[in-house]
Amino acid sequence: MLKKIFIIVSKDLKIDLSQGHLFFSVALYLVSSIFVVYLSFGSVGINDLSTWVSLFWVLILFGSITSISKSFLHESKKRDYYYYFLVSPTELIFSKLLYNFFYLIILCFVAFGFYSLLIGSFIESHLFFYFILIVGSLSISNCLTLVSAISYQVRNNSTIMSVLSFPIILPILLILIKITKISASNFSWNLVQDDIYLLILLNIITLSLSKILFGYLWRN
Amino acid sequence: MKWIKIICIFLLAYVTIAGFLFDVPALPILNEAIRILFFHVPMWFTMIFLLFISAINSYYYISKGRINYDIKSNEYANVGVFFGILGIISGMLWAKFTWGTYWTNDPKLNGSALGLLIYFSYFVLRGSVKDELNKAKISSVYNIFAFAMLIPLIFILPRMTDSLHPGNGGNPGFNVYDMNSQLRIVFYPAVIGFILLGIWITNIRVKIKFLNKQ
Repeated sequence: MLKKIFIIVSKDLKIDLSQGHLFFSVALYLVSSIFVVYLSFGSVGINDLSTWVSLFWVLILFGSITSISKSFLHESKKRDYYYYFLVSPTELIFSKLLYNFFYLIILCFVAFGFYSLLIGSFIESHLFFYFILIVGSLSISNCLTLVSAISYQVRNNSTIMSVLSFPIILPILLILIKITKISASNFSWNLVQDDIYLLILLNIITLSLSKILFGYLWRN
Repeated sequence: MKWIKIICIFLLAYVTIAGFLFDVPALPILNEAIRILFFHVPMWFTMIFLLFISAINSYYYISKGRINYDIKSNEYANVGVFFGILGIISGMLWAKFTWGTYWTNDPKLNGSALGLLIYFSYFVLRGSVKDELNKAKISSVYNIFAFAMLIPLIFILPRMTDSLHPGNGGNPGFNVYDMNSQLRIVFYPAVIGFILLGIWITNIRVKIKFLNKQ
């Protein structure tokens, strides 16, 4: 099972590397939206932590929806049948989850680098913030991969992905914003403990539901 | 089904009369507005109950594959969202008289509004798929996923932050409601009555859908 997951992930990676514009288009999307934020705040800049954190996560949200919506997109119709005989739905969804997870980590760090370069950084405990970035990309990819599979089934409809994912991703996003706000100023484990547990719980729910429901979704 | 209707009519008649005429505790700020408790809170109970049945029907559909379950699940979601909208409207009126504004940045308000948004996007999803079997499969999957994400939004997140609602801000729901026995004898029948009403409405709608299909 692990071997098959690894094969699908490396196949996706090869496609993305050979068509470099796919990753760069998403990165450019993020970078230009960061630049829009930078320009619209003008010479005043962002002066307080909560605006900084909220804008950052909203930008990540937009970028991740754009990137994850592509995750099933370059599977052609014929390849569906091919996969159907070769791999189980569990292997397929886990490989997509894993791929989206790594994809989002890179995207998050690129965004954070450019964001703090232009707008400045309010983060004091860097190590914990990087931890949140990784956990955040894990939770976002867990939640959105199934939604992207749903929107892939609804063919030739590009708006459906964002319509479906915005309300569903919000609990996760709210927790991430809250944790980041707390941890950026003065981090202590007691303050974020409950939210971290809730995030873990949400991840377990989304992961297990993705595994169960994708089996039904994939079957024709 | 017959008994459900009879009990529902009996309970709701009792709730309407008792809710407006019985003695209520005289509290500052709330005053007589406390009576909306009998109508506002049961709306949310009914919504959650109907959406839960909707998710269960969706699960039955994807595991058994009979289209009837999908029709039922859709109708339960429809009626559930209708009760949710009633809950929001009654809550806004109540908020205007007690908190002084129709909408505040309260986690419970935002959570319930988001919950409604989730189900609106469920309806959008249903509208955007043409093929009936495909529509049933995709929307059932989304319905289950959406219900699972609704639970933390409505039950967990508001309890982790301060809220203007009674019983929140670290406290789990009901015991801390300062509900005395006078309120209870109307409130619990109201909850049961409105849930039965929701089931009744859904049943009629499902019957109409079945007849239309034939």
